Amino acid sequence: MENFDYKINDTQKLGLEIIKEASFDDRLMTLSVGPQHPGSGHFRFVIKIDGDYIVFCDPDPGYVHRGEEKMAEYRTYIQNIPHLERPVIHDSTNITYSYSLAVEELLGIAVPRRGQFIRAIASEFNRQIYTLYWLAIYGIFLGHSTMFMWPAGDRELFIDLMEALTGARVTHAFNIPGGVRNDIPNGFKERCLRQVSYFEKRLNEYEDIFYNNPLFRQRTEKVGILTKEDAIKLGVTGSVLRASGIPYDIRKVEPYDVYDEIDFKVQYLKTCDSFARSYVPFLDMKESCYIIKQLLDKMPESGDVRTKLQSNVKGQSGESYKRVESGRGALGYYVVSDGSPKPYRVKISVGSFRNILALPHLLVGSKLGDMPAIYWSLNYWPVEADR
Amino acid sequence: MNSTTGFTKSASGIIKAIESGSKHLLIRRFTLFYPQKKLKFVGDGYQFDPQKGVGIAGTRGRHILFHEKCTGCQLCAITCEGIAEAIEMVKITESWKQNKKSIMPQIDYGKCVFCGLCVDACPFYALYMTNDYELAAFTKTHLIYTPAQLAVKPQYDGTVEIKIDDRGAYHG
Repeated sequence: MENFDYKINDTQKLGLEIIKEASFDDRLMTLSVGPQHPGSGHFRFVIKIDGDYIVFCDPDPGYVHRGEEKMAEYRTYIQNIPHLERPVIHDSTNITYSYSLAVEELLGIAVPRRGQFIRAIASEFNRQIYTLYWLAIYGIFLGHSTMFMWPAGDRELFIDLMEALTGARVTHAFNIPGGVRNDIPNGFKERCLRQVSYFEKRLNEYEDIFYNNPLFRQRTEKVGILTKEDAIKLGVTGSVLRASGIPYDIRKVEPYDVYDEIDFKVQYLKTCDSFARSYVPFLDMKESCYIIKQLLDKMPESGDVRTKLQSNVKGQSGESYKRVESGRGALGYYVVSDGSPKPYRVKISVGSFRNILALPHLLVGSKLGDMPAIYWSLNYWPVEADR
Repeated sequence: MNSTTGFTKSASGIIKAIESGSKHLLIRRFTLFYPQKKLKFVGDGYQFDPQKGVGIAGTRGRHILFHEKCTGCQLCAITCEGIAEAIEMVKITESWKQNKKSIMPQIDYGKCVFCGLCVDACPFYALYMTNDYELAAFTKTHLIYTPAQLAVKPQYDGTVEIKIDDRGAYHG
């Protein structure tokens, strides 16, 4: 009994201490969002709120740092492919695409034309897969569970196509310096056209249920304004930059492989708010369907898809930097070679890490309830940013 | 915008969203009833043609090892060293003419990432991948496949494909 009393006293003492600590500054309250938060991913940001308004924000990335860049120094150019796609498994073709481009420039390898087309098709599929996943999470962030189910279901259309093309559902390991691993299977073109045309019709329904829904619009319109000047100053990229009224797309600015032969428009909006940042990826998906149809149409009927390479290919010493447009913006690889079969240095420059710089800028001064709408509209993928 | 027009606009938006969603009550489910029905794959699994230097499209499931072709050259194990360290060369009891050292790959599926680069590395058409992806086991040791287990050709009977008609898409 005595023991029991003692325990109660101790707990009360502890409680008083906590209350004292908390009421040190009774106006501000500190909140830690993540890393176990259901929405933030493997990422934490500390915010201070004054009533309903956020007055301070400190992003704290680094929970899923894996040392991909250092790991790449101990493996040959081809062995690097499976582990370099791990940071963003939903967009794994794009993250190996720019690596392949950089290594090809470094080692002086030419890619056959049919291989370039297949690579571009796979990268468009992967951009769709990533954007649908991102959109599904954006829907559930704002409490719209139908918008979680629909994109997650329609993503299966593209995963099915990628499975037929590459043999794997998420981590494809498909792009390789010198082209792609295998040719397209029989009847793939018809299957593609059928499923992509169906997906285009589905996108109109997304507009009805989500983008024209007043409940969604009221939560995102005029929330988190990132002006054109601020967007340039902070160095954001991808859909966040395009939502701030700047038509900038790597596929248009620095066309790689076959993108200079493809006719498409860079989708951008001038409203600069969270709604624009969520609507630009949607417009990109529509444009991407159009690009896929063109790529399938223009692809040569037959030919090589891959330049034959030695398994431990060596190059001249030198450096190269190549970037592609991924689901989250510009994704670049800087590769340095010293003439050995392994790269001397690999630096990955990702879109997510650039976009998160805008988070403190946007959150400070906005309401706590707008936090999910702003945070996920930045197209941030924590695992990719930490690398 | 005054409050009356704002209200009508909001109400019509919500009604349109409900209308668009409720159409789906009449459409077949997209869901695949997995253990009863399985997806149909392209071909018999990922293969590689070392002469042309190009792979043949197929699902990357567990491997199949052709004992009469494997020479024990260890190229698959050397490739895997920098990737997953899943392949280990082990002694085999039977003797093959082409395999002087009597060693063949043993694959640990607890480590394998199914990238298929070991298949690309094999110059003797001895290692391919198959459609068998259901590898769950109760213990970690059951995930290690010996050369004898890898020689068995799996039976896979998936028939379901995504079908699209004017009412929507479904697995059937």
